[in-house]
Amino acid sequence: MDWLEEISLRDDKSIQDILAEKAIYDTSTNPRLGRADRLKRIKEQLRRQRYPRLAQTEDQIRAHINGLKLHPEIHLSVAPGLEGGRLRVEFQPGSTAELRALVAKLNDATLLSSMGAIFELLSGDSGKEQN
Amino acid sequence: MNCFVPDELVVERGSESSSVFNNLCSTLPQVPVRIVDDVRVTAVYDRSVDHFGAAKKKLFLTRHRGEFFKKCPGSEGQVCCNYFVINFASNCPMDCSYCYLQDYLSDNASLKVFSNIGDLIDEADRTLHRHRGLFFRIGTGEITDSLALEPYTGIVREIIPYFAEQSNVLLELKTKSDCVDNLLDLDPKGRIVVAWSMNPRPVIERDEHGTASFAERLAAARRCQEAGYRLGFHFDPIIEYPDWENDYQPMVEEIFATVDWRRVSWLSLGVLRETPGLKRVMRQRFPQTRLLAGEQVPCPDGKLRYFQPQRIQMYRKMVQWIRRFAPMVQIYLCMESKEIWQQVFGFFPACEKELGNQLAPLD
Repeated sequence: MDWLEEISLRDDKSIQDILAEKAIYDTSTNPRLGRADRLKRIKEQLRRQRYPRLAQTEDQIRAHINGLKLHPEIHLSVAPGLEGGRLRVEFQPGSTAELRALVAKLNDATLLSSMGAIFELLSGDSGKEQN
Repeated sequence: MNCFVPDELVVERGSESSSVFNNLCSTLPQVPVRIVDDVRVTAVYDRSVDHFGAAKKKLFLTRHRGEFFKKCPGSEGQVCCNYFVINFASNCPMDCSYCYLQDYLSDNASLKVFSNIGDLIDEADRTLHRHRGLFFRIGTGEITDSLALEPYTGIVREIIPYFAEQSNVLLELKTKSDCVDNLLDLDPKGRIVVAWSMNPRPVIERDEHGTASFAERLAAARRCQEAGYRLGFHFDPIIEYPDWENDYQPMVEEIFATVDWRRVSWLSLGVLRETPGLKRVMRQRFPQTRLLAGEQVPCPDGKLRYFQPQRIQMYRKMVQWIRRFAPMVQIYLCMESKEIWQQVFGFFPACEKELGNQLAPLD
């Protein structure tokens, strides 16, 4: 509800108009979605509308993470809201050999431009500014 | 600046012999005075209406019974600048929509000045003498505006001569007013910093109600500098909105076209931040404010701030603009983490004493 009110104030729209927008309306009336799924998707749509530049930065980071092709063995993530500016790296090797292989894979990924781009986005260095 | 005039002066019995009382009576002869035994009983407000706003209409004069001199509480996990605070008043006659006092003093909202200024000086004297080897940067604007009531109370005029003589102190008078007349004939001896919180004109007009205009603050700063005072500027809170740069950059330029940056002791930067409690109060008291439209996220210390990459960019731009006109002035971030310091400046202070010492005067 806070997000709806804040979008309404920022964009000078009524809450009814926001909820009537096509993307949200389509989700809310989609018969193939259960109630819980509908609410979850609408909430995400509202979050992206409330925080457009944050959502854009998160999307860019996600795209770069996907581009590194480390998943599923190595999981990369960032904090909600990008606070802390750090990249979380998780993996669970089952042997020394596996550990060595994962570390090598991770090391190779550090040479890719996508890895640098992730840290640039986290540190506000990206060429596309948060305007 | 439109001068604040209280509807009533409520005086705790026993405070009538104080210099502050005499000053209030002589400068506000038109304001009715009521002597009461206990101000706490009188300072009760109907919380079903805007009790915080109502509390600003009366002025209470009372003895302060606790400590005057304290360490600034700072914010958990953030870089601290080793600041101390002296509170000779509580609450403020101005009404900025983002003011944290709306939440912090919600249960103790009455606008108060303290009559026992002698005790303040005695307490400061004991502490400063006990720790002569340490440097103290002390502020008077933690829970009030340092100068907004000065034309009536004369408190700052009373304490400046003492602090001007202390070799291990810089006393900062932080304000959004232009009430500096009481200071100009005193000799600060390099120990007093008069500091202004600054924002561009559109922000002042929309959200800093009852404060001096940008031009008034700047003119007052110039007068103080010409009278021998060091200056400080606090760009806090920095507000992000469409084309904010087009307002903030000229503001920085105008400030340094007016004052001599070489006699500016420090500048601080801090983006808009609020606790969830403050956010609720802001929405109730200022429902049309656009301050809460920014992309603020929860931070580890519990406050909401613009998301990290965005505020790093804001800080970097401010630093860049400031450095163009004031290449060597000390700049510090208020209530930010080591990570933000590292990204903005390329370093972070090792500890609060290091930052505090960096802000010490170069005598």
